[in-house]
Amino acid sequence: MRVRVDLELCQGHALCREEAPEVFEVIERPGTYDQVKLLDEAPPERLRKKVEAAVRHCPNRVIQIEG
Amino acid sequence: MSQRRMLSGAKPGTGHLEEFLAHPALLMLRAWRECGEFAEFDLGGMTNVLVVGPDALEAVFRAPDEQLSAAEAYGYMVPIFGEGIQFGAPLDLERQQVKMQATALRPERMKGYAHIIAGEVERWIERWGDAGELDIHGEFKELVLRTSTHCLLGEEFRNKLSEEFGALLHDLELAVSPAAVVDPFAAEEIFARRDRSRARLAELVTAVIEQRKKSGETQPDMLQVFMELTYLDGRKLSDDEIVGMLIWIMFAGFHTSSNTATWAAVELARHPELAAPVAREIDTIYQPGSGLSFAALREIPLLERFVLEVLRLHPPLVTLMRRVKSDFHVLDQVIPAGHTLAISPYVTHRDPAWFREPERFDPARPLPEPVFAYIPFGGGRRKCVGNAFALLQVKAIFCALLSRYEFELVDPPETYRDVMPSLILQVSEPARLRYRRKE
Repeated sequence: MRVRVDLELCQGHALCREEAPEVFEVIERPGTYDQVKLLDEAPPERLRKKVEAAVRHCPNRVIQIEG
Repeated sequence: MSQRRMLSGAKPGTGHLEEFLAHPALLMLRAWRECGEFAEFDLGGMTNVLVVGPDALEAVFRAPDEQLSAAEAYGYMVPIFGEGIQFGAPLDLERQQVKMQATALRPERMKGYAHIIAGEVERWIERWGDAGELDIHGEFKELVLRTSTHCLLGEEFRNKLSEEFGALLHDLELAVSPAAVVDPFAAEEIFARRDRSRARLAELVTAVIEQRKKSGETQPDMLQVFMELTYLDGRKLSDDEIVGMLIWIMFAGFHTSSNTATWAAVELARHPELAAPVAREIDTIYQPGSGLSFAALREIPLLERFVLEVLRLHPPLVTLMRRVKSDFHVLDQVIPAGHTLAISPYVTHRDPAWFREPERFDPARPLPEPVFAYIPFGGGRRKCVGNAFALLQVKAIFCALLSRYEFELVDPPETYRDVMPSLILQVSEPARLRYRRKE
């Protein structure tokens, strides 16, 4: 699977990191919203459940899984 | 470019103002049905363009503030939050303040808030007894006032001052009437009262800040976060800015949450066949008496879907506005500078292109594929940052209620309606429900 994030709409709530810290990091950005950083754009299949949980929990629906 | 149409029924001089003042949601719904995806209406000489479809909304939500200004459309909030706060501050400061609000609502802080909220809910429900009849909106306002003041300002403030805080806040809310959209500084009693109550709120909160500075103690509340955070230049928020931040967050969360909870309770009572599986789901993760904060932080899929459907049909904020600063090109339209763009979750959520039989309450319906077809919390850079907190609160309330009680309507189903005495949508009052302890 491949993971994509729409950074323009990310507000750095960090719920994805709570669900799948192997895949999502959150970068501190002083003065504006923090922002997610993908640690692994093509995570291994065993992380699928965690990534799917991250997709569900993102309040802004900015994470997509392809494949 | 296709021709935009102006809604029928404009009166000379005032346009659709009177109809807007009576019920903004219904005015916009009529505008969309009559004029389509880009519908014009006139508020006292200001041309408003209602934008409905997800593609156009996406363009609106992605546009920069310099082009579509929220600050200019929401000038009436400045006397409420205060000069120097949110739309009373320059854009770069406002951006830093929104970030601070988001910081106060981060997931790592949620456990603390969940604990506070659960404690309040358990205390509140103790007096319900085995059965009764009540105005559920009044109940939820009281409860959410307690949870909010507790999460914002700590236990001591909540115990001593919740009631006065609630009354003062109510004065501020009355001043966010549709009339304020026209002139928030008109010589009217509601605006004078707003200013007196804002000043008294500042006194109350400043006293807590002073006391906390003196004692050197720290508390797990939002006030503490605002006292510690700094702007990019290292400056801390002034006491008055903290007051403004707290009023702002209270405004964003209080009525929106209590009205959503109220509509959820009414829909649960109105649809016992949909309420039953939600209650069964809750029974599997929570038993009355302990572990409520843990339960509220968990995924509760059926309850969450139910709440999302409540937010679809009854989004507490029915209109979001932006002033067009430079000609805005969207799809085949050009919206000229000087116009106001109106976005309406209430209308967008009733588009049959994305929601089949839109007026039917159906928690099983899937969320539409386009993100901007479903916008109860708005979207883009200015999207509500309290989304997760709001959901946490509503989940705590309904875990506690549905694990103990069953509900039914007191009045005929059709008498529970969307009304808008202020700019926030609510259930017609009183919203009477009957409850009975489960067997």
